[in-house]
Amino acid sequence: MRTISKKLNKEEIEAFGKEVDSLREEVMAKVGKEDADHIRFIYKTYRYTEVLGRGLIHFSFEPISFVAGTLLLSISKIINNMELGHNVLHGQYDWMNDPKFNSRTFEWDIVCNAHQWKFYHNYMHHTYTNVLNKDHDYGYNFTRLTEGQKWKPVHLTQPFTNLFLALNFQWGIGAHGYRVEYLETPKKLRKKKTLKDYKAVFFKKIELQMLKDYILFPALAGLNFPKVILGNLLANLIRNLWTYAVIFCGHFTENAESFTTEEIAGETKAQWYLRQLKGSSNLEGNNLFYTMTGHLSHQIEHHMFPDMPAKRYREVAPRLKEICAKYGQHYNTGSFVKQFGSVWKRIIAYSFPDHIANKVMGKRKKYLEPSIVLSQPSFQVSLPTEEKTISLT
Amino acid sequence: MKTFPFIYNQPKEFLNFLQPKEWADFLLGELNPRFSVTTTKAKVIDIKEETADAKTFVLKPNWLWKGFLSGQHVPVTVEIAGRRVTRFYSLSSHPNEKYLQITVKRQKGGLVSNFLNQNTKKGDILDLGEASGEFVLSKELPKELLLLAGGSGITPIHSILKDLQALNYNGKVTLLYFVRSVDDIILKSSIDLLEKNNQWLTVQYILSDVPKEGYVSGFLTKEILDQYVPNLKSTSVYVCGPSPMQTKALSLLEGLPVKSELFLLPGQNLTNVKKEGTVDVYLSLSHKTIQVKGERSILDELEEQGIYPQSGCRMGICHTCVCKKQAGSVTDLSNGEKSQLGEENIQICVSRAESNLELEL
Repeated sequence: MRTISKKLNKEEIEAFGKEVDSLREEVMAKVGKEDADHIRFIYKTYRYTEVLGRGLIHFSFEPISFVAGTLLLSISKIINNMELGHNVLHGQYDWMNDPKFNSRTFEWDIVCNAHQWKFYHNYMHHTYTNVLNKDHDYGYNFTRLTEGQKWKPVHLTQPFTNLFLALNFQWGIGAHGYRVEYLETPKKLRKKKTLKDYKAVFFKKIELQMLKDYILFPALAGLNFPKVILGNLLANLIRNLWTYAVIFCGHFTENAESFTTEEIAGETKAQWYLRQLKGSSNLEGNNLFYTMTGHLSHQIEHHMFPDMPAKRYREVAPRLKEICAKYGQHYNTGSFVKQFGSVWKRIIAYSFPDHIANKVMGKRKKYLEPSIVLSQPSFQVSLPTEEKTISLT
Repeated sequence: MKTFPFIYNQPKEFLNFLQPKEWADFLLGELNPRFSVTTTKAKVIDIKEETADAKTFVLKPNWLWKGFLSGQHVPVTVEIAGRRVTRFYSLSSHPNEKYLQITVKRQKGGLVSNFLNQNTKKGDILDLGEASGEFVLSKELPKELLLLAGGSGITPIHSILKDLQALNYNGKVTLLYFVRSVDDIILKSSIDLLEKNNQWLTVQYILSDVPKEGYVSGFLTKEILDQYVPNLKSTSVYVCGPSPMQTKALSLLEGLPVKSELFLLPGQNLTNVKKEGTVDVYLSLSHKTIQVKGERSILDELEEQGIYPQSGCRMGICHTCVCKKQAGSVTDLSNGEKSQLGEENIQICVSRAESNLELEL
């Protein structure tokens, strides 16, 4: 993977980490009523858009109010998943001591079980960001995004499989969750809890979601039930496409780097900060856009401070950017169109073998480390069964 | 019903999943902040200044309020800088009165008592829990009663006096109320009125710090007890006040039927423990291992490191912070007992880490 950042020596890295730490401390000290009011406003918006959206879908007799209702319901689901759910489940609002906003009690409007998500996202993904073989979110098990992953002919299909994933993103997220939890369970404990047990949790959540969106609410509309089913289906689809787009921009843009387990062995907190920076990428926009992405527009800040109330990333970003500039570190940011375009450039490029991929991705400017090609295929395209495991070095 | 095995087996859980209560709470809360189907919320409809550092709050609760007995206390939750904090306060009003009343004296370093006195205005909403507590009159009223109050410990006793009046009590009651100075007497006008209207009641204010003419000065001693309650042996006693006074009272009144209630500030029940080194606490749900010293409660030590588990009273009453300990040993701060090593539920607000711990948090 190429890097456009200056290579820092040990002292420089530690100094960088110190500055990031003091920035964090300063902002965390300010967390209080303002943040509580923000999340309550978000909660209110989520509830109102859902009531209005569902109401409009139910009582619409012409296409305009049906479309408006569907859009409102999608917005409600997006807010529920992004600014509310994602951030609450990170424990950003645990300090409020309010069960509505507590990461232990919150459950969201998506087929992914919150508890399983917390394991593979909060723990696995945020600890091992962009580390091949450790971060299961890196390419979501089937997308090849770097020469560190061995090319196989099946990767030629990845533009199509990604399109499919985008349309069904919540299912990908949900199915991904229970498998990661299983794969990361030490082999000894797998006898106690089998893949089936983890799957049952996912299936239970599916059932609850499906009953709500496709049986209960349509049934309430009586003979008009197809209209409600369609509205819910479209709302879920819009939410899927939006979250896919935002989330893929977070780590898979062309300048976002990947790492190997060897590189992160014995990593310090400062090195961890640096990896979060190099592995993440931001999106630029206005405040409404930031809120609708759940502040994943500030993926870099989010990865450095995952438990900081997300709205604070807006004030952290310019100062972090300054620190990065001071240390010659690339701060990966751009417009949504530019970043999402570069994600797709990368998805398409690495669907081909390296010699083509490298041509598409352009000449490499500088290497971070000689890239280590893993002897084993790092990601299996087929779903891992109970016998197959991802090797953890 | 193989298609929907879950809904078929656990229909209740599906109903909960739809969040009917959250929806009802949200919509009712939009109509009136006092309305709720899950939380007893109360509106502050009047605030009376009792002394320079104590105020009485008159509260109008919503329909979930289940009532109380004189002498009981209630958990009060307020939001301070965005954070919900719970403390227990005795109800100073009588159960028959239309509105509830709590009287709060500012405690040195007390987060909630100071917040209530300084910041709470008419129209604010407080979250209440259910009233509880054993500091109540027994069914068969004793012929003679001695009530010992110290400082803000008068609040449950004030309610008990009103209860005795409502019950047409005809025995003999002596109230000895210890305060620092005349200006610190809480609920004075109401107590004086009770004394005036009821033959059976004798009230004696005793000033412990600043003497004043016309008032008795001193501390709780055997002499004072003998002076005001000559036939102590046939008397039932209720004590409520600060810890030193309670200790003294309990030793003086040994052998008598004594009911006592002690309100501690969170953290006051901690013995001073100093430890060398740290122990590891593994939080199994968040996959974090943190080091704590094991000197204070686990809750305090976690919060210090930016981890905020749900909590309530911080004195072991409300059980909000209960979590499963999977391994390790803790000391119960309320009684100093060391726990077993295995799996059990602990209240992290009154447990101190003894060894490496594994908690389901």
